[in-house]
Amino acid sequence: MRYALVDCNNFFVSCERVFQPALENKAVVVLSNNDGCVVARSNESKAMGIKMGTPFFQIRHLVDAGRLVACSSNYALYGDLSARVMSILSEAVPKIEIYSIDEAFLQIDGIPEERLPQLCRDLVRRIRQWVGIPVSIGVAPTKTLAKIASHFAKRYKGYKGVCFIDNEQRRLKALSLTPIGDVWGVGRRIAPRLESVSVHTALDFVARPQEWVRGNFGLSCARTWAELCGIPAVDEETGDARKSICTSRSFADMTDSLQDLQQRVAAFASECSRKLREEGTAASEITTFLYTNRFREDLDQYFPSATIRLPMATSSVREVVGAALRGLRAVYRPGFQYKKAGVIVSRIIPADSVQASLFDVDYSQRTKNDRLSDVIDKVNSLGYGRTDLVHLAVQDGGHYSEVLRREHCSRLYTTSLDDIIDVH
Amino acid sequence: MADTIEIEGILEEGEQAFMAAMAAESIHAGFPSPAQDYMNRCIDLNRELVRHPASTFYGRVVGDSMIEAGVEEGDILVIDKSITPSEGDMAVCFLDGEFALKRVSFSDPAGSSEKGLWLLPANPKYSPIRVSEEENFTVWGVVTYVIKKTWRR
Repeated sequence: MRYALVDCNNFFVSCERVFQPALENKAVVVLSNNDGCVVARSNESKAMGIKMGTPFFQIRHLVDAGRLVACSSNYALYGDLSARVMSILSEAVPKIEIYSIDEAFLQIDGIPEERLPQLCRDLVRRIRQWVGIPVSIGVAPTKTLAKIASHFAKRYKGYKGVCFIDNEQRRLKALSLTPIGDVWGVGRRIAPRLESVSVHTALDFVARPQEWVRGNFGLSCARTWAELCGIPAVDEETGDARKSICTSRSFADMTDSLQDLQQRVAAFASECSRKLREEGTAASEITTFLYTNRFREDLDQYFPSATIRLPMATSSVREVVGAALRGLRAVYRPGFQYKKAGVIVSRIIPADSVQASLFDVDYSQRTKNDRLSDVIDKVNSLGYGRTDLVHLAVQDGGHYSEVLRREHCSRLYTTSLDDIIDVH
Repeated sequence: MADTIEIEGILEEGEQAFMAAMAAESIHAGFPSPAQDYMNRCIDLNRELVRHPASTFYGRVVGDSMIEAGVEEGDILVIDKSITPSEGDMAVCFLDGEFALKRVSFSDPAGSSEKGLWLLPANPKYSPIRVSEEENFTVWGVVTYVIKKTWRR
């Protein structure tokens, strides 16, 4: 069993550089929604000591002094370029598993060992030329080791973007060079606890018995231990999570009112969001569907659905309800008698694997969302008020997001004809 | 990309939407229409003009540097980054901080036997540019089609 992880280097910054080549070799950061804090950094801005999550006001003076370029996040652009990278990958191998906006695992089991290095090098070159995005590929017997290999491929130029951890010597060397906090699956809460018992590197970690790890740090940490030893263990974990969650009902009476449908769809969506949070998962696709009554042949029939793909997975009631209502507004047509509606959330991943850089996008915003979700759950658990709360949400018309601050946003180079590049 | 549709004013930043609607026909169907077999055969300019969707981008012409090649201000360029430029290809180059439209040539337009890369305008007002490796220069993509609006209302 082998895994290849393809990881886009400094993805958001690289996307900006495709259309602004002048940013090449410059210190660049991309800011979160509302220009709140740093969510992506170029190697040059990393070297300046700018950390992930740094509030923008703390580095504004560097921008004013001309030492740093700050871009507002342009998720439409990043989403489009991500789809291009993923489509090149899926043409090259039998199957890919898209892990986040800038990472995918390739299924390479059927590919002969000797062809693999060339295939990976070709992919790095092709994605760089075709889309303009630099990627790194790590190949190893487990996903966690593949992630470590991709770090090495990214960090050391000598690898030319491709690193294999394919024998015992390389595995031990890689583990000895990897700080425990950098290991995929070792959370920020667990890393300091491991450090405090003198586990500093991944090698220190695997030197301890697995029972000790399981006893002190739990099952998921024990799985990481196995993965680092070359035994695949995280697949089973993600395999447990459901692939999609659907909440739908047939109505006692047919309805043609948008207002009516909005209330019901919002209720279904908030139920889906509650289930996601209950099982600790997050979804990035929200589908809203409507049915007219197929037994009433005398009436016009319409069975539309709309799927909204979010830039990042979420379980927040605000985001799930918002997306479901936008889907509803996209497909709703007056003049039909609707008998049933529903919401499906899919592309479900464990909430803790939503990439840190993305999930922390706006920490204050996230915590606000989580608090709102908690309040709604609490009210619901009391057994009353649910429809009132949802009703409140609907009166907002699904327009939850405040006007975003986006002072440094690049153009929609790939999704709006008015915004394509100027060629002189 | 190809099967994504834009829903004006509904999607938020970074979202993509996919919609499906079944027609009433699927319920009332008796005999399927014989025309159905031919439904997907109409000309699709996306398919004709875009050979590699993953590597195709668009640009808008500003200025008159390629006027004698029939490329005017406002024209839309179909740019394929997957193509490695060959002699005479029209290309979008990144030069001196901006995107520039030029023809690529591997021999000196003045006739010397010097080897190198020249960027040729199609307008006598401008001169050919000799570029070297170390300059801040890249061929960004090769232009495969120029789309021109002729109806000016």
